Amino acid sequence: MPMNGTHGYRPGLVDLGSGQISREIFVNEDIYAQEQERVFARSWLFVGHESQIPNPGDFFTSRMGEESVILCRDRASKVHVFLNSCRHRGMKVCRYDEGNTTVFTCPYHGWSFGTDGALAGVPFFREAYRSALDKAKWGLIEVPGLCVYKGTVWANWDASAPSFDEYLGEFRRFLDLILDGWDGREGQAELLGGVQKWVIPCNWKFPAENFSGDTYHNISHRSVDLVGAGPSGQSRRDYSELNAARKLHVAIPDRGHQTITYMLPKDYEPRPAYQNSPEVAEYFRHCEEERRKRPGANSRMIGAPGEIFPNTALLPRQPRTLAVWHPVNAHTTEVWRFYFVDRDAPKAVKNFLRDYYIRYSGPAGMTEQDDMENWNYAHAASRGTIARRYPYTYEMGMGHAVENYEWDGLRMPGRVVDLTKAQASEEPMRNLYRRWAEFMEADNWDQLMTWRRQAQAQAAQ
Amino acid sequence: MSGTVNIRGLPVGARVVLANGAEAEIVSNPADGVWLFARYLTAEDPSLVGEEEMIFAQDVIEVRT
Repeated sequence: MPMNGTHGYRPGLVDLGSGQISREIFVNEDIYAQEQERVFARSWLFVGHESQIPNPGDFFTSRMGEESVILCRDRASKVHVFLNSCRHRGMKVCRYDEGNTTVFTCPYHGWSFGTDGALAGVPFFREAYRSALDKAKWGLIEVPGLCVYKGTVWANWDASAPSFDEYLGEFRRFLDLILDGWDGREGQAELLGGVQKWVIPCNWKFPAENFSGDTYHNISHRSVDLVGAGPSGQSRRDYSELNAARKLHVAIPDRGHQTITYMLPKDYEPRPAYQNSPEVAEYFRHCEEERRKRPGANSRMIGAPGEIFPNTALLPRQPRTLAVWHPVNAHTTEVWRFYFVDRDAPKAVKNFLRDYYIRYSGPAGMTEQDDMENWNYAHAASRGTIARRYPYTYEMGMGHAVENYEWDGLRMPGRVVDLTKAQASEEPMRNLYRRWAEFMEADNWDQLMTWRRQAQAQAAQ
Repeated sequence: MSGTVNIRGLPVGARVVLANGAEAEIVSNPADGVWLFARYLTAEDPSLVGEEEMIFAQDVIEVRT
């Protein structure tokens, strides 16, 4: 049996030929340190939602990887993301979670920055600096890549990265399932309440893998199903239409994004849901009816857990949330969960959903507690000298994914495994770790944009 | 009682005396306890009079009542 590696990442730890992945990638602290540079400093990361900063001067303190960043709207209403670190000696210039301000003032020596990031105030500028400091050079460090997509704000530290739209590729339609209104209108989501934040003792890839589309672990939520935490007091969700749908794993191989999704038949009629509240039931009945009148593939799709590489999880339907798995160290992850509702929904609907969401998700949510138990103990039991010698298996469903999947006139992008009978596969996890290994091995974005090379090769033929 | 001026709650319009003898009127207060935005009313350098500038808390020695 090979001894554990004492160094960082090396090719072969992710062996997709055999479907085996070394436990080292989850517990090795050198690999974790490399991830910060090779994965988190080059990927598009979710930092917040525009509805958190509606007015000039509004800010929300977020994170990108391990680092604190400030999402803010300046006096001219432009959205920025800054590293939350004073240029003089590095102190955090903002220690509030959110608020409204005219300046971010460092409490250490008093340097002060405008909401546009410009260095505005330098104590004893005339006297101590003799007015010689070039203030224009010492503003807050701003992310070079910023994208506001249907209200969500994404940022990237690598100026050579592709646009967020290109980074998403054909996965965009799955993100739209959260951000568009339940009735199908574009970009109707708003944040509901605050952001739930909590710390769990496991590597960030455990939850990232789980939300990539692990349908195999449903047994661990059996108690929630028995309790009936769902909106109508049955099971976990009101999902009766799933009985008529095709259940799929969809993986976008050159992007590293993957999800579970459901395709409804062409002429499917919505079924009643949210039956514990007539007002809520009527709202969703109306929305479902409207959604099916709209053209486009999403009117026949039902969203389910998914993952945008590397650490943003989707849950488009019930509850409707985005989660970010912030790395803290190799053995610790800070989870931030954002909840969404239709901005035009009646107050009664928003209140009903708030109750359901926190009953289901978050640190006190019944389902997420099950998940955390699994991730935390799996991590702890994989750290030991002996445990690390033995890889995990990801062989389930190998060789059964297809491209150009189509059913009842609707085509799916990427590599698809039909789970309607199979119930589960590990195609999404293999897709996640394939892309993760590419990031760990590639030196630049030219190497990571494999789709551009393919397009160039096709054009040359 | 400390002689240090607490600038955090000073209202717009309040007048402050600075260590160099200048006097200024507050035009906005970010309430961070470190800075004020103020307009010079008097100053040793006459070109500063009427100008708006950020004033550092340690430069404020008195509040005019």
